[in-house]
Amino acid sequence: MAISDILNAVVELDRIAVVENVKTAIIDGVPFDDILNKGLIASMDVVGERFSNGDIFVPEMLQAAKAMQAGLEVLKPHLTCDVLTQKGTVIIGTVKGDLHDIGKNLVSMMVEGAGFNVVDLGVDVDIEKFVSLTQTHNADVVCLSALLTTTMPTMAKIVEAFKESGLKAKIIIGGAPVTDAYARQIGADGFSDNAPGAVELIRRLIAA
Amino acid sequence: MNRVLFNIDREVLDQIHTNSLELLKESGIRFPNQEALEIFKRHGFKIDGEMVFFQQKDIEKALETIPETFELHARNTANSFLIGDDSYRMAPGYGPPFIIETSGEMRPALLADTQKFCKLVQTSKALDFNSSIVAQPNDVPPQTAHLDMLLSTILLTDKPIMGSTSSKACAQDSLELAKMIWGNTDKAVMLSLVDSLSPLQYAQKSVEALLVYARAKQPLLIHSSCSMGSSGPITIAGSLVISNACSLAGICLTQLVNPGTPIVYGLGGSPTDMRTGGYVNASPEDAKHTAIVTALGHYYHIPCRSQGALTESFCLDYQAGMESSMMLTTAALSGAHVCLHACGTYGSMLAMSFEKFLADEDLCCAIKKLVKPIEFSKENFAMDMIKRLGTSGNYLLEQHTADRCRSEFFIPDLNIRNIHSKWVKMEPRNMDQRASQLLKKRLSAYEKPDIDPSIERDLIKYVENKK
Repeated sequence: MAISDILNAVVELDRIAVVENVKTAIIDGVPFDDILNKGLIASMDVVGERFSNGDIFVPEMLQAAKAMQAGLEVLKPHLTCDVLTQKGTVIIGTVKGDLHDIGKNLVSMMVEGAGFNVVDLGVDVDIEKFVSLTQTHNADVVCLSALLTTTMPTMAKIVEAFKESGLKAKIIIGGAPVTDAYARQIGADGFSDNAPGAVELIRRLIAA
Repeated sequence: MNRVLFNIDREVLDQIHTNSLELLKESGIRFPNQEALEIFKRHGFKIDGEMVFFQQKDIEKALETIPETFELHARNTANSFLIGDDSYRMAPGYGPPFIIETSGEMRPALLADTQKFCKLVQTSKALDFNSSIVAQPNDVPPQTAHLDMLLSTILLTDKPIMGSTSSKACAQDSLELAKMIWGNTDKAVMLSLVDSLSPLQYAQKSVEALLVYARAKQPLLIHSSCSMGSSGPITIAGSLVISNACSLAGICLTQLVNPGTPIVYGLGGSPTDMRTGGYVNASPEDAKHTAIVTALGHYYHIPCRSQGALTESFCLDYQAGMESSMMLTTAALSGAHVCLHACGTYGSMLAMSFEKFLADEDLCCAIKKLVKPIEFSKENFAMDMIKRLGTSGNYLLEQHTADRCRSEFFIPDLNIRNIHSKWVKMEPRNMDQRASQLLKKRLSAYEKPDIDPSIERDLIKYVENKK
C-alpha cells in the first residue's frame, strides 16, 4: 500500500477506497504519522490547490473532505491526542446578530481538512463566547464571519475584547462585505475572501 | 395586449403549490419569536418548539383575505399608484454597502451617497418609489442608520417609500415618521420588505418587524429566496418549493395578525457558484425563477415582485447590460408588478454605482415601453392617412407623426443612436463617462420637493432625539 493511494482516493472523492486504503496501510505497518500527514492531510492540500485553480467545485471539495474525515476516523484510535491538536486549534463562528453560515461552514471544513483542531461555534455567537472558548481551548486562531454590514462592527468589538482580555490568539475575518482594508482598520490579523485562502492564512499565522 | 407572455402550465403551478403545502404540514417553518408563536398557538396551529406546522386550510384562508390590488400612497399624491394592475412599479437598489466608482475602485457607501441616490430617484422617469436602503451608509452608527436613511428618503423625495425591517425598533421608528406625515392612517403609505432565512425559517428580527407592520396594516413584501445548492436544493423545482413554503408561512402570519394586510409576494433563487461557494445572481436560473414566481403570484391572486437589473459585473460592460436586461425583460414579460433593485447595482447587489443607475434607467424606461399595451385604435391604425399617401408619401411631413414624435417611441438618455462618423468624434465616447456627465446634470437640476415646514421640523426632531 503506497501512501499515494490514500492521497489519490481522497482526490478522486472515493470514500470507500480511502477507508480501505487507510486500513491496509495500518496493517502494512505504515507509520501512523505518515498516513496522517503524507496521506490524508496532503490530499486536502492537493484538493485545496485544485479548488483554487477552478479545477474542482465546492461540493466536490466537500466530498473530498468527507472522504478524508472517514479515513481519519479509521486512523484516530491509533493516534495520540497530541498529533491531532499539535497543528493548532482554530475557533470559528458567525458573529452576534448574523445567521449566515455557508461561507463559515466552507472555511470550517477546509481548515479541519488541513489537520487543525476546529471548534465551530455556529452562528449568532456572543462576544463573550468567543473570548471564553478561546481561553478554554487555548486556541491559536479565531475566524470571524459576517454577511451583514450591520453585524460587521461586532468584529471590531471582538478584536477589542481580545485585547482587553490579553488573549494572544490571532483573529482573522471574512464574509461578503468584509474587506482587507476593514481587517486592517479594526486591527484583525488577516482576511481571506475564500476558504483555501483562509487555510493558507491560518498556516502562516500559526507558523509565525 | 396580455402582458404575461411566458405561460407556465397550470399543472406545474399546482404541483409547486401541493409540494409547498406538504412541506408546511410535515417539515414546518421555524419562527424564533415568542409573540408569533403565541399568535399561531391562539389560532390552533400545531407547534413544536419554534417550528410551526400549517394545514392547507390555514394557507387557503390567508390567501382569501389578501387584496388583489392596493394603492401605495405618496407624500405627493400625484406620485401615488396602484400595485397589482398592469403596471410594473420600480424601486432602486436595496441594501448595497459599497459604491463602485468609474475607476473600478470600491469604497464604503456614505450617507451623502444615499442622499445623492434619493435625488436621482426623485428626478427619475423610470422609478416609481424609493427603497429604504438605496445604499447602506458606513459613516453613521448602524443602530440609527435607518433613521438617517428614512429621513433622507422622506425629505428628498415625494414618491412612495419603504419602511425599515432591520428590527422591531426600526419598524416602529418607520411608522412613527410616517404618522407625522399621514397621521393615524390605515392607508398603505409604506411598503416594507421581510425576507425569510432559507431554509425553512425566519430570523427573529424579521418576524418582529413583520408583526409591527401587519398590526398597522401596512403592506409587506414577503420574500423568500435560497442560494441554490447551498441554502436550498440545487434544482429550480426544489428551490421553488422550499421558498414558496416559507413565503406562504410568512404571508399566513400577516393575515392572522391583521386580515386584509396588503401583500406583495416574492420568491427568488440564485445559484451558488459551484467553483467558489459564492452567491451568484443575474443568471438564467434567476430569470427562470422570476418567470415562475410571477406566475405563482398570479395563481395566488397576489401582486408579485421580481428581481431587478442585477449583474455580477463591476463595471458598465457587455456583461452588466446583458445580465440586467435578461433579468428585467423576463420579469416584465412574465407580468411582475413590483421590482426592487431596478437601478444601480453591481456585483451580486454588493455595490451601487451612480453610472450604472443612470444606464439602468434607460433599460427600465425601455422595459416599461416594451410592456405597455399597444393601442389598436382607429387613430393608431391611421388607415385614411396610409391610403391618402399611397406609395409616394413622406410620413415625416404629417401632423399624425408630429403629434406623436415625442411619445410614441422610447427615447434613451444614454444609449447612443448616432451615425458612425459622429460617434468617432463623440467626447466622451464611453457609456460610463457619458453617465458621469449626465449625473452632474441630473444633480444640478434637482429641486427638493415641498414639505410643510412644521412636519419637516418634527421629522428632524424625532430623528435627532432618537440618536
